[in-house]
Amino acid sequence: MSKSVVVLGILMMLLASSLGAQEAQFDVKQFTLDNGMNFLVVERPTAPVFSGFIIVGVGSANERTGNIGSAHLLEHMMFKGSKLVGTTDWDAEQDLWAKEDSVWARIDMARRQTRYVALNNPEKLDAHLKFIESLETILDSLAEASSQYVIQNEFDRIYTRNGAAQFNATTGYDFTNYFVSLPSNRLELWFLMESDRLKHPAMREFFPERDVVAEERRQSVENSSDLKLFEQLIGTAFISHPYQIFWEWRSEETNLTRDDLMTFFNTYYIPQNMAVAVVGDVKLDDVRKFAEKYFGDIPRGKDFEPIYTEEIEQTGERRVDLHYESSPAVNISYHGTAFDSPDEPVFQVIQRLIGDGRTSRLYKSLVLDKQLCVDVSVDVFPGNEMGDLYPGVMNIYAYPRDEVTTIDVEAAIYEELHKLATVPVDSLELTKIKNNIDAAMIWSAYDNLGLASYLASTQALTKDWKYLYKLRDKLKAVTPEDIMRVASQYLADEKRTVATLIPLENGGDNE
Amino acid sequence: MNKIVIMIGLLLLAVSAFGQQQYPRDMKFPQIEFNPATPQEFTTDNGIKVFFLEDHKLPVVTLNAYFKGGDIYDPQDKVGLASLTASLMRNGGAGKLNPDQVDFDLEFLAANINCNSGERDYNIGLRTLRKDLDKTTGILADIILKPAFDTAKVTLEKSVTQDQIRRQNDDPGQVTRRVFYQTIYGDHPYGWYATLASIDNITRADIIDCHKKYFVPDNCIMAISGDMTLNDVKVLLKKYFGDWKKAELTLSAKAMAETSYKPGVYYAQKDINQANIRFGHLLMTDENPDQYAFEIMNFALGGGGFSSRMMSQVRTTAGLAYSVGSYPVYRQLMGLHFSYCVTKAESLSKTLQMMFDVINEVRNNGITAEEMELAKESTINGYIFGFDTPSKLVNAYARNELRGFPKDKIKTDLEKYQAVTLEKCNQVAKFYLNTDDIVIVITGNKGLFDKPLDTFGPVTDVSMEIQ
Repeated sequence: MSKSVVVLGILMMLLASSLGAQEAQFDVKQFTLDNGMNFLVVERPTAPVFSGFIIVGVGSANERTGNIGSAHLLEHMMFKGSKLVGTTDWDAEQDLWAKEDSVWARIDMARRQTRYVALNNPEKLDAHLKFIESLETILDSLAEASSQYVIQNEFDRIYTRNGAAQFNATTGYDFTNYFVSLPSNRLELWFLMESDRLKHPAMREFFPERDVVAEERRQSVENSSDLKLFEQLIGTAFISHPYQIFWEWRSEETNLTRDDLMTFFNTYYIPQNMAVAVVGDVKLDDVRKFAEKYFGDIPRGKDFEPIYTEEIEQTGERRVDLHYESSPAVNISYHGTAFDSPDEPVFQVIQRLIGDGRTSRLYKSLVLDKQLCVDVSVDVFPGNEMGDLYPGVMNIYAYPRDEVTTIDVEAAIYEELHKLATVPVDSLELTKIKNNIDAAMIWSAYDNLGLASYLASTQALTKDWKYLYKLRDKLKAVTPEDIMRVASQYLADEKRTVATLIPLENGGDNE
Repeated sequence: MNKIVIMIGLLLLAVSAFGQQQYPRDMKFPQIEFNPATPQEFTTDNGIKVFFLEDHKLPVVTLNAYFKGGDIYDPQDKVGLASLTASLMRNGGAGKLNPDQVDFDLEFLAANINCNSGERDYNIGLRTLRKDLDKTTGILADIILKPAFDTAKVTLEKSVTQDQIRRQNDDPGQVTRRVFYQTIYGDHPYGWYATLASIDNITRADIIDCHKKYFVPDNCIMAISGDMTLNDVKVLLKKYFGDWKKAELTLSAKAMAETSYKPGVYYAQKDINQANIRFGHLLMTDENPDQYAFEIMNFALGGGGFSSRMMSQVRTTAGLAYSVGSYPVYRQLMGLHFSYCVTKAESLSKTLQMMFDVINEVRNNGITAEEMELAKESTINGYIFGFDTPSKLVNAYARNELRGFPKDKIKTDLEKYQAVTLEKCNQVAKFYLNTDDIVIVITGNKGLFDKPLDTFGPVTDVSMEIQ
């Protein structure tokens, strides 16, 4: 690779507007395959690498009781390989999986019957439990049998051997993201690997992987004071909308089956429901050629019904406590808007105003001036950068100083929110926010993966990557009056949900 | 790379051209030539060593100023001094600006200045839009040259730090990590953590002295990248750092860490439904040439994610954990090797034994040639990602200079990885790996564990009292 660092300006910066503001412009090429799969390409030959980012328009909000955890476990299973990767005999595996599944279904049924056997025929309980055990032994031996065809973790190994970085995936509420960065001469490898797992997902090593996601929940939620509290907050803030489930429950995910996942996959992993971004040292023509070759033969899927369930109106303040072995904390939520609501840009400006940086309203007041908190921060849930598919919540997280009560912390927060609704924001403060909006967009292009994620997620959410310009213009048009109106409407006392962590003393020794 | 492998690869590619199925495992690619730009470097009249990489693709600039110093130079009764000095440079006012004005001026311009104290150096970093460079560099210079250390902010920063210490037992992972470092390094500075008392002992005068001692131009190395020319850099540094007076700094010598701990289990009681495990032993310094072979060997052992034995056995096959792995840490005064895992409480002993077995298997029988090739290919092919933005590249040069490493280290490191042999991997495995004389830290609720903790050695209860 030549010293092209200096010469190749990929982003054209326009020294625009009388204020001297700098606005980002992205040189994005776009094409759509006949099956509806959309591709965004930024040719940026700075270093001989590229990032590939695939977004599927599905997440945990698409689950219902009975298949909760499908989106996340499916994302895990996508790393198990495909038809071409990770197996010595794809057909033999399919047969064994079918057998495993039928045994599992019987175990499942028998386990659910246990309580009725215990209740109505206690004398048969022992035999019943032995029966379950014998089925489990059969399941184990079937798993053992299928393992002989498995080339373990080969999907990871192939990428790893080829120098992959940032290889991962994330499951959100509306979107699931798959991404990796590779040396640029591996472009075709990426297309082959990704297309094969999106055509032939491998449900191999299914049962241990279900245990892995259960362990992930224990680690990330059950033994984390922050997320344990947040789960209570979200579960209380939402009554009817599927956003109410912050993280899949263990009782649900440990009962998922391969069929559950394949149904989910067949419904949502369809080409017209995917957006792809490729950023780096690549050529549009190559990307297009490989896209046709590897993704072109996936048939367009049947459109699915969007979520129509709406959150019911909140009728007063809601409160929930968590008694836990940890220091005090308080989380406060307010219902917000979906990305396409006219109030959404105002909401985003409010979020920055109260939560962005040391000069933000809350940090300045609670940490620096009144010294009530160790830290305070603000975010939006689910929290897509361009806004969320359905109305989410804005959350305030506050960590009180030693011997400060959460009551005093709450009072100081509400004082700031009331001020927002009653006193116009001065123009200097609003200009600060707008400067940061421009700068964030410029910095978003600093590395390949960041830009790929930014573009693909905008495309997936709005079906138009250029929406990021439209949103920027809307954000910059927000007025002090807009802020007062939206603050008084959405951030009213009776619209809030409050979750409080109340410390338990250390020493819960269960011996 | 074995020639036969390449030929088979080519053969398969040729076959695939005739319509046969192409398998990703058979696709071979030439190695990307690693030839990143070389930063320009110069030293200012007052001794600032500057590395600069011109890059006009975005209208932004990053500037990092490094200073030798940092946490290991804290006096034992004032642990936290370097860290407080750094945060108060940023938050305690600078030049003519009071603390609130520093915050507002930076945030109004959407610029960011971070001041951090690390193990052996300070890092003062600026990220700014090009158009505001003059103004933001002015603030950066005031922070480095003329921090005000506002009295009220000193009090605030100290008391917030103490409140953070009061919260140090909230997160099980943080507890496990802290207890592990404290135990394995014992009385060496690497094992010291700030306490309520050590923060109490730090005065504003200590902070002023600390700043005065370390923040001098001939102890400063700058890494600058972005939308400017070499001449722009020189003019800018002259304007804001030209009057900064040299003052020779003598760093006090620090002793190497030695093994002083009592091997066994260190148990931190917390009422959670998992066991948070971290175990290991001292290893080698960051100048030890064995590190390249160790790195490759450890990739196969537990550092290579899904491509490692630990992940394959504990997670993929047994489903016992979401997080599991092993990593070497190379440090100036003695590094360490640790393995970690988080598993449900009732599978603690099963998991721990499985991890020991993996380590012992590698120690006794080594890794395979195939595992070594995978680790080497991954390291070599992925090497570029450590240097794929101008900022990463120029900062790598500055950090190597700071640590006294040779200028061409980023290139010679790659060659050293390429030269690693299986014999050397297995030699370092046998020499360094150990599951007997080790520190095992377990955070959790022993009432829920599948076996008593003394199965794995003598047990010491760790005090969870906040001091």
